[in-house]
Amino acid sequence: MAFFDALKERAVLTINQVFDKGNDSGLSKAQLFCIEHRIPDDETVIDELAAEVGVYSEYNKDAYKEKMGVSQGRIFLTQRFLIFSDAYDKRNCSFTIHLSTIKKVERVPTTDYAFALAIGTHSRIKLSFFLVGMRSESEKFAHNLKLALRANLKNIAKLQPFIQTCYSEYLLAKNKVSSEKVDEIPSGGLGLEFKFPGNAKELRDKSKMKLWFDLFKADGRNLSIVKTPMFHRLVRVGLPNRLRGEIWELCCGSMYLRLENVGLYQQLLDENKEKNSLAIEEIEKDLNRSLPEYAAYQSPEGIERLRNVLTAYSWKNPEVGYCQAMNIVTAALLIYMSEEQAFWCLHMICDRIVPGYYSKTMYGTLLDQRVFESLVQDTMPMLWEHITKYDIQLSVVSLPWFLSLFLSSMPLVYAFRILDVFFLQGPKTLFQVALAILKLNGEELLKVEDDGSFISLIKDYFHSLEQSAHPNSPNQKYRTITKFQELLVTAFKEFSIINEAVLNKHRVKHRNTIFLNISTFVKRTELRNLPKVKNIDQPTLGNIYDRYYSIVESNVTVGSGSSVMDFEGFRIFMSQICTWVNENDDNPFLRRLMNHWDSEGQKALTLSDLVVGLNKLIEPDLMEAMSNFFSLYDDKKNGKLDREHILQVSEDLLYITTPWKDAWELDRITEDAIENAIADEIVKRKAEKGEKSGDIEISSEIEIDKPKLENQQIERYLSAASTFIQRAFEYAQPEEEEALIKELAVDNKISHNAALDPSTPTYLNLPTFRMVVLADETYELLFSNTLRNSIRPEKPLDEKFDTMRNLKDMFDGLLADGRKVANKVRKRMDSAASSAINNQNQSLNHQSESSSLKSGKSKIQEEDEERDDDFGVISIDEKDKDLLLGAESHVVINTPDQATAVPKTQSSASTSTTKDGEKQPDGNLIEFET
Amino acid sequence: MELKSYDKYRMSFAPPTTSVKLVLLGEAAVGKSSLVLRFVSNDFQENKEPTIGAAFLTQKCTIGERTIKYEIWDTAGQERFASLAPMYYRNAQAALVVYDITKPASFIKARHWVKELHEQASKDITIALVGNKHDLVEDDNDGDDSSLRKVSIEEGQKLADEEGLLFFETSAKTAYNVNEVFVGIGSKIPEAPLLKPQQPQATDGRIDLSTGTAPAADGCAC
Ligand SMILES: Nc1nc2c(ncn2[C@@H]2O[C@H](COP(=O)(O)OP(=O)(O)OP(=O)(O)O)[C@@H](O)[C@H]2O)c(=O)[nH]1
Ligand SMILES: [Mg+2]
Repeated sequence: MAFFDALKERAVLTINQVFDKGNDSGLSKAQLFCIEHRIPDDETVIDELAAEVGVYSEYNKDAYKEKMGVSQGRIFLTQRFLIFSDAYDKRNCSFTIHLSTIKKVERVPTTDYAFALAIGTHSRIKLSFFLVGMRSESEKFAHNLKLALRANLKNIAKLQPFIQTCYSEYLLAKNKVSSEKVDEIPSGGLGLEFKFPGNAKELRDKSKMKLWFDLFKADGRNLSIVKTPMFHRLVRVGLPNRLRGEIWELCCGSMYLRLENVGLYQQLLDENKEKNSLAIEEIEKDLNRSLPEYAAYQSPEGIERLRNVLTAYSWKNPEVGYCQAMNIVTAALLIYMSEEQAFWCLHMICDRIVPGYYSKTMYGTLLDQRVFESLVQDTMPMLWEHITKYDIQLSVVSLPWFLSLFLSSMPLVYAFRILDVFFLQGPKTLFQVALAILKLNGEELLKVEDDGSFISLIKDYFHSLEQSAHPNSPNQKYRTITKFQELLVTAFKEFSIINEAVLNKHRVKHRNTIFLNISTFVKRTELRNLPKVKNIDQPTLGNIYDRYYSIVESNVTVGSGSSVMDFEGFRIFMSQICTWVNENDDNPFLRRLMNHWDSEGQKALTLSDLVVGLNKLIEPDLMEAMSNFFSLYDDKKNGKLDREHILQVSEDLLYITTPWKDAWELDRITEDAIENAIADEIVKRKAEKGEKSGDIEISSEIEIDKPKLENQQIERYLSAASTFIQRAFEYAQPEEEEALIKELAVDNKISHNAALDPSTPTYLNLPTFRMVVLADETYELLFSNTLRNSIRPEKPLDEKFDTMRNLKDMFDGLLADGRKVANKVRKRMDSAASSAINNQNQSLNHQSESSSLKSGKSKIQEEDEERDDDFGVISIDEKDKDLLLGAESHVVINTPDQATAVPKTQSSASTSTTKDGEKQPDGNLIEFET
Repeated sequence: MELKSYDKYRMSFAPPTTSVKLVLLGEAAVGKSSLVLRFVSNDFQENKEPTIGAAFLTQKCTIGERTIKYEIWDTAGQERFASLAPMYYRNAQAALVVYDITKPASFIKARHWVKELHEQASKDITIALVGNKHDLVEDDNDGDDSSLRKVSIEEGQKLADEEGLLFFETSAKTAYNVNEVFVGIGSKIPEAPLLKPQQPQATDGRIDLSTGTAPAADGCAC
């Protein structure tokens, strides 16, 4: 079951978003703003202004500093952040300063028109803002900033403990260039204990550390850092081991989530300690299979951290749960990050940076693979042509790159370098690097002609990344450039054109196809795994599936893995396929059906519940149909319906039969009566004209009494209902007499009185229920035919107009089906030419009514097969149809007075006798026949 | 000497190798990649990283007088990767549906895969059902309740019979029955129509992958 449950998640919402929001990315402007500045989703812009910003600190005499000068751009204020971004190039200067770190805001005296603010942060840097624009706007901004700072006061307490977790703070405090006191080394990644991958000396870790140290002094750090070109450069050359985790979380913004939700990680672990889930099982399988060559993952400590982070995330986002490749990503994060840092960083990756990559349908992965293919096609048409010509599956190499962020493809040290840039620049990094890999191997790739060589060529390339890119160059400088450096240069220079906008354009283009593929696959899988049902064929199951999801999906949240149908949805579903259900019905019968079908007791139906339930409801076997219906009420599962239940059954039957009771649908008895009336009329006319045979002409002069036939049906249903309840109580047995009755062959007189007395507990068992139903022709037909035909799960979703709902169509359909009438006429004429007139008389005769009905009935069975197909379908010549439609204007009473009170006049005994000839005699039924 | 002349003969009349696209399917961690590693490199790794998406490897295998070049697509086992599978089993001539005999759920998954292949893959695909990790139950006594074995040979054989599959129990760890799987599959793959020389004595010594049981039947076993 889990197999297809897991696949139920659907990408439709992503698509809906695209259409709803009316912009390319499928995200609102507010969401895009949060993503761009890496702040939590719930932040909103309170105020914004154009501004010039200068950054000063005690250390701003450093060489690189002077080049920066003043930056022009826009400043934004949100609930918790002061954000700035250079208008010309974000990389010149940008910051996302947490309001908690602002120690001081001053108004700077300036010339009369300018308005300037100076802001001091806990990093001891000073920012000056020259607000550009109308003075009143500037005043307003300053005021809003004041309010925001005031509102943020409650968050300030979180700052101190948070600072203790930042390695940057420790570094500065230890070197006595900070006002903060950080005595202990903040908890960090497994690398602190198990060594960081790579050779620190070769990686020039110390020098990098020194550069960052200087940068922190000049530009601030963590929550109040100003990102200068130097910041970007230092990320590009590779982060030093001890700072890597912190810069990662700073760049992707998971740092803000961690600050905001202190303790949530531990809480998730504690709350779900004893719980199990599919995700947990899947995680356990992979714990020993995550970067197994790294020492920490051969130790219980490393495994435990990995388990904690993956488990906590699976609880945080059950819709994603756990996806293979997350283990590798998380294992990598944990080398440089504490558990809590890694948790929030993973959260950021899965939910924001590469959404849908790890989700249950992996639509993000599939989509981006498609996007990657089309980028290859655009940027390297020759290679693309080659790949298609030899039918090489590009995705077999590229999919793991994207899904495991290169961690399972490249030597770790290099993959980490790419991750450094990835966190800073976002998902486009993956595309840029991937394209560069193909580009750099382009010539060689053009020579390969099958997947195998393609893959091994790329594999070899990855293992040669440390080698010189130009080993034979006479220039010493070129010789020292490694293939990895070359890769980065190609990726970030040559493919800098691949930005978010380009990606979005491609994503939008391919989204629908990918979604369609996924839904086709999901549908196929889900249908295949539905329980076997005998009354519903494969195409019908497909239509049920479509309808189910058309209803369920409209109220599902993004990426939800579990779609179930609530009562509301069930009602809508049933109203679309059943003539007797109204969309607004809050009917006890529907509730009963739903409760009965709900196999998991979750007050909602899965697709499989629905299919199993419908299968029972449309059971063609009369006996089984009745017993299925009976069991809906057998709440105690003891085969007995008590008084309350009997009343409920009769009420529900009344509800179900509404369309016929109100005569906006015709049942087979009525149809038959109509056909008989027409046939009789034709025969009569022929006889009058003295014709013995010849063409049967259904002429426009045939007239039938429509209102009368309708009334007959209405009466019949009302009487069926009252007869049912009357008989049900008549034959209900008192509890203690159960045994007796069986042997007594029913002396009704005695038990009646007891049964009718509400104080005596009585019940109806299945055989009795069947007998009561079978005793009435209308209700018998309800279970053998009418009910089943009123439920049309096979209806395709896009069929808008329901012909069966319209009375006029019913009549037209019936009358138009001249073939059937013609058959009847022919039979009448064939049977005996001489008795033609006799026949007519008989049909006027009250006595023979039941026999006429009976013959109608056996005809019903004869035509059963055929009926299913042409029920209500117009199948005669256009010419004839016109004739018949004309008949409507001449409605005259000329049909025999079909006994409306048939059930009343017939004794129950005689009816069951009649039935016995046709139906399987019910063992218990016979006992009542005396 | 005879072999040499036979080789010449074969070179001139039959293509030296038949390429067979083979795909591995089955639940995560049942040992698909390990089976491939055993077959291709005769190696085993205790903690193998999960396959992300799919992996591709090739290996030649000589059966009788035929050489088959297997192009092996090893897929990821986790449920959510299932939507990628059609990309890999497309045009496959052979499939190994693998389960772990100590994990009943993996057997249920195997059933699903067999169904899917029958519905979606090429009509004449040859499928082998493979119950892996046989080493874990090797020294168990039969009928022992504490046995790690959760899927009996009979259950596996029954499914294979019902669905017309080859059936093997294997261990990637000990190499038990691994080559037999590939030889068995190879023997069932219909040969490209060509003149087949009858050179019974040449058969000996040419079997470099089997331990001598299955390959007696050559290419026309089916
Ligand atoms: N005891 C035993 N362990 C095995 C055997 N085959 C594989 N394993 C182990 O089972 C685990 C999973 O093996 P893999 O080959 O990676 O499984 P897989 O089916 O490729 O898994 P995915 O790639 O996730 O679908 C590894 O730890 C293997 O060492 C076997 O025959 N016996
Ligand atoms: Mg694998």
